[in-house]
Amino acid sequence: MQDLTQLLLNGLSTGAVYALFALGYTLVFSVLGVINFAHGAVFTLGAYFTYFLIGGAAGANGLLAGLQLPFALPFWLALPLAGLGAAAVALLIERTAFAPLRQRNADPLLALITSLGAGVVLVNLIQLLVGAESYAIPTGALAGLPAAVRIGGAQVRSVQLLLLLVAAVLLTLLTLWIDGTRSGKGLRAVSEDPTTARLLGIPSDRMIQIAFGLSGFLAGIAGGLVGLSVSIAGPYFGIGYGLKGLGVLVLGGLGSVPGAVLGGLIIGLAEACVPADLSGYRDVVAYGFLFVVLLVRPQGLLGRVLPSKV
Amino acid sequence: MDALLIDASLLQQMLIGALLGISVYLPLRCGQLSLATPGFYAIGGTLAALLSTRVDALGGAEPVYPLSSVLLEMLLAAALAGGLAVGIGRVVLRLRGVYLAIATIALVEILRVTTLNQESLGGAVGIFGIPQPFLDPQGYALFTLIALALVCWLCDRLERQRLGRAMEAIRDDELAAACQGIDTDRTKLVAFVLSAVVAAITGVISAHFLNSWNARLGNFDASITTLAFVVFGGSRTWAGPVIGGLTLTALPELLRPIGDLRLIVFGLVILVGPLLLPQGLITPERLRLIRGLLHRGAKP
Repeated sequence: MQDLTQLLLNGLSTGAVYALFALGYTLVFSVLGVINFAHGAVFTLGAYFTYFLIGGAAGANGLLAGLQLPFALPFWLALPLAGLGAAAVALLIERTAFAPLRQRNADPLLALITSLGAGVVLVNLIQLLVGAESYAIPTGALAGLPAAVRIGGAQVRSVQLLLLLVAAVLLTLLTLWIDGTRSGKGLRAVSEDPTTARLLGIPSDRMIQIAFGLSGFLAGIAGGLVGLSVSIAGPYFGIGYGLKGLGVLVLGGLGSVPGAVLGGLIIGLAEACVPADLSGYRDVVAYGFLFVVLLVRPQGLLGRVLPSKV
Repeated sequence: MDALLIDASLLQQMLIGALLGISVYLPLRCGQLSLATPGFYAIGGTLAALLSTRVDALGGAEPVYPLSSVLLEMLLAAALAGGLAVGIGRVVLRLRGVYLAIATIALVEILRVTTLNQESLGGAVGIFGIPQPFLDPQGYALFTLIALALVCWLCDRLERQRLGRAMEAIRDDELAAACQGIDTDRTKLVAFVLSAVVAAITGVISAHFLNSWNARLGNFDASITTLAFVVFGGSRTWAGPVIGGLTLTALPELLRPIGDLRLIVFGLVILVGPLLLPQGLITPERLRLIRGLLHRGAKP
């Protein structure tokens, strides 16, 4: 029973990160129909922003060696600010890598390349500025919270609970926004058909920017939380999550918000169930799922079948 | 002499880049965005590494590894990758657009993680001491140049033939192509298999040249870099990926003097390239123009 609780919580908290990650892909995919390959870099940036905002110092290997902000914010304030910073970067990526292609009516597949280029620039910029070493966000950042609590006999790290809580709150807010507000409806209209939406007076470009901003915010928060829970393993650490996020995205159904959440939780739990002696194969789980789903149900678990147009 | 040696190994890497570019280009010629190239490249590389280090009959112990053994490895790698591609292609080519891209990324990752965890395939350490058929980079570069020239010649023939034109028709409009009586499924499968064969042969050459092989050589980064070759160079004729592969492989090396900034500049090139040249550097129209100029230049 104790082991099961542990397993479940481990799986759920990993899954929550995947879900946050995949939601960022989904938001952009639903309005543009392309995948933003720079998303992993935004996630990474969120983690670094959090690290610096709570008063961390840069290592010795970058241009900014030894740099430290003159103030140290508490984690609960640093995390949303890091999210906002990541959102700003995501908007910048939209301006440089996506908007120019849209204005020229270019092949949407080119956005895969341009966004990847933006990602390469960001990742190497991080490396240039703060070096390739790993950074650990001190667990003392959660002042006042015990390192672990006991639930049903299992030791659970508070970080994991925090991760689950934040993810749940964000997902609820996002769903409420999409379903219940005017701008949320606008987003759905644009994802249905951008041209018609524009004819009906919905500012498509504005909705696209909102989607990018939100996706950056979610990625930034996820990055900060993972940085706290594991550590920031260098500028490339978002890439692995980025690839997993693709698996989650397809599993749930491209462009489906509840699908991204369900996909994230399924893959997180499935990975937690891989026995320790096969842990090397853990990374195959997501891709194996992805492959099977693509073949059996290409629209994803909660996706819709679109009629093929002539 | 030192400078010449460095140049020959850079040239070798550029030629490998060009071959991989062609491998990505072939499915893209019929509008199929497959990112499986690094997977098949890894299959070729791993097969060559295993055969040449473990099968004594191939002549791994001799001071110079026999060229005939390399050719045999290439043949086997082509057969293995081609066979796999027929099986995988039948399944994944039912997917379209970005779904195909993601499925092939998943395929590459599954192959990579499996190789990483199988000690018999080299595991995390990799396979070392792969015997050398050539004693200097110049030999490799010449051999690869011949292979590239052969592949380019075949692609040029293909583009002028029924099959190549059918591929183009599918890219422009799959439904219309099917209505014209083109067997779209078969054409796409042929392109996918050819792509796998080119990638696997390239992997064999690369394994010998690099002297060691590990699972990391066929990863997601490679998927995207090779795709960038094609997008940058142009995806409508074989000359595009060749030029793209040559230049983009050379670029980070040529930028070495600017040190840490080089990968940032590389990223900017990939970011800005498609914006300035949505069709890529080389289009059939431009190629015809160049050919015309060369022709006119040769006459008087």
